[in-house]
Amino acid sequence: MNIKDLPEESLFTPGHTACAGCPAPAIVRNMMKIFGKDTIVYTPANCLLVFSGTYPYLAWRVPYLHEAFENTAACISGVARAYRKKGKKTLVVGIAGDGGTYDIGIQALSGAAERNEDVIYVCYDNEAYMNTGIQRSGATPYGAATTTTPAGRKIAGKLEHKKDMAEIMRAHEVPYVATLSISHPKDFLEKVEKAKETEGFRYLHVLSPCPTGWRFDPAKSIEIARKAVDSGMWTLYEAEYGEITNIYKPKKKIPVEEYIKGQGRFRHFTPEMIAELQKWVDRKWKRLYGELPES
Amino acid sequence: MYEIRFHGRGGQGGRMAAEAYALAAFLEGSYAVSFPFFGAERRGAPVRAFTRVDDKKIRIKTQVYEPDYVVVLDETLIETEDVLEGLKEDGMVIINTAKKPEEVRLSKPVKCATVDATSIALEILGRPITNTAILGAIAKATGRVSIDSIEKAIIEKFGARLGKEAGEKNAKAARVAYEKTLVGVAQGGKAFVPRKKWLPTVEEMPIGGATPAMETDAGLVGIGSFIENKTGDWRTFMPIIDKEKCIGCKFCWFYCPEGCISMEDGKASVDYDYCKGCGICANECPVNAIEMKREVRT
Repeated sequence: MNIKDLPEESLFTPGHTACAGCPAPAIVRNMMKIFGKDTIVYTPANCLLVFSGTYPYLAWRVPYLHEAFENTAACISGVARAYRKKGKKTLVVGIAGDGGTYDIGIQALSGAAERNEDVIYVCYDNEAYMNTGIQRSGATPYGAATTTTPAGRKIAGKLEHKKDMAEIMRAHEVPYVATLSISHPKDFLEKVEKAKETEGFRYLHVLSPCPTGWRFDPAKSIEIARKAVDSGMWTLYEAEYGEITNIYKPKKKIPVEEYIKGQGRFRHFTPEMIAELQKWVDRKWKRLYGELPES
Repeated sequence: MYEIRFHGRGGQGGRMAAEAYALAAFLEGSYAVSFPFFGAERRGAPVRAFTRVDDKKIRIKTQVYEPDYVVVLDETLIETEDVLEGLKEDGMVIINTAKKPEEVRLSKPVKCATVDATSIALEILGRPITNTAILGAIAKATGRVSIDSIEKAIIEKFGARLGKEAGEKNAKAARVAYEKTLVGVAQGGKAFVPRKKWLPTVEEMPIGGATPAMETDAGLVGIGSFIENKTGDWRTFMPIIDKEKCIGCKFCWFYCPEGCISMEDGKASVDYDYCKGCGICANECPVNAIEMKREVRT
């Protein structure tokens, strides 16, 4: 599957009110092209809900549901069971943000994964609560400035590292777990296709750089996603029943300093902070890709 | 007491402008309050902010409905809504536009000041963020606060957030705008059709709060209806595609957040009704066939 194999017809309309340069609409639009018409989408509270479903408007051309923040996985479980009971194969997709996945939605998510519900759960990860005005979440990387972890004189940005949510989901040994980046279209589309074909619980985790919250030029969203992959801040892999089956390894590893450049949320970084973040990236890199390349 | 209503787009800094103006008035010994209208607005969507200034304590906490001054940070806004709504008889409107006051057309003839704040901001700040330049224009047009106080307020407010250098640059933008502001009278006679809002009656509202796809007198609602919302006026820069250079790789088509790029005869083509001008297509084009150009609206 490549870009040119995608259908022209879109199931997600223009006219939505996402910030200019937000890659989330491109992420969901291209996913929907593969999921197809026989799909029902659920979102909890997140930016996507607000920019794609402001009453009475809706950007989706498929049935669309909204419920509370914490119960995405519980709701899609129920919807899927109802469809299956009626003998229908309709694809049931829940799309939550990082706050609704890492923090608020994790218990429902863990439960649904353990029960192996026949759903696709998508986490689009912009590394903070952007919808409510950039508050830190479990997904916010070390040192990033948010409104609840401001870059002050004594404490500069978030003190803790990002939680590895995809690994938590892999540990559930569900049929399919994949991490995706919109900057790598072929890899992205193949994983979405694979998720569609798989039965049982599927977890897709997409990085979604946020021009407003990360404070960078809106034209650079895709470029920053690409740098996230090349630096190892974001890793791309697939896992089936807990076993890693496919790894996308960047051709050349770039220093984390190059990734954080141009992002206002890291502007206050000292050389010590860069070193701390690099250490975290290197640990993650070694775990997935093996030895570090010689620098 | 006098009241100001700011019309801008999310991210242009209308709220910061309202706050900095209040600070400038405060520095001159007045009481002042400012606050934005809170909603679900994203960056680029129309937003409002308010400032009240008085020589005694201000107890009123409502939005500003009958302003003495209306400030418009983005000229596309005067096309889609009547910014003069509720403006006092001898009120004044201050608009960011390259036009002269006499060339501006509004719903009625009113005192009007204009300044090309976007060009000033691009030149001095390198970004089309017009909130500080427009403050200089307010000082000039209204004479209510001095440009010195405006500069002080900007350095204090923006300097604290963006660093000293950025604070001083923004103060300079205000000073330049102060000098370039033109004051005159705008033309009237522009008709605005109030937008119809679809509000269902209890009988019309389906069980469970679901909205089916419907065509109402306010247009489409429900599934797929966001197509009614044209976002093209959010734009400052527009992508221009060089069809000769375009190789039809479809990367822009894939990456475009709006989904407003289509392929015509194997070449990319932009639907400007929806393009927000983010510039991703130009940044990602592998053969540099797309250029972002400052849009001149007539």
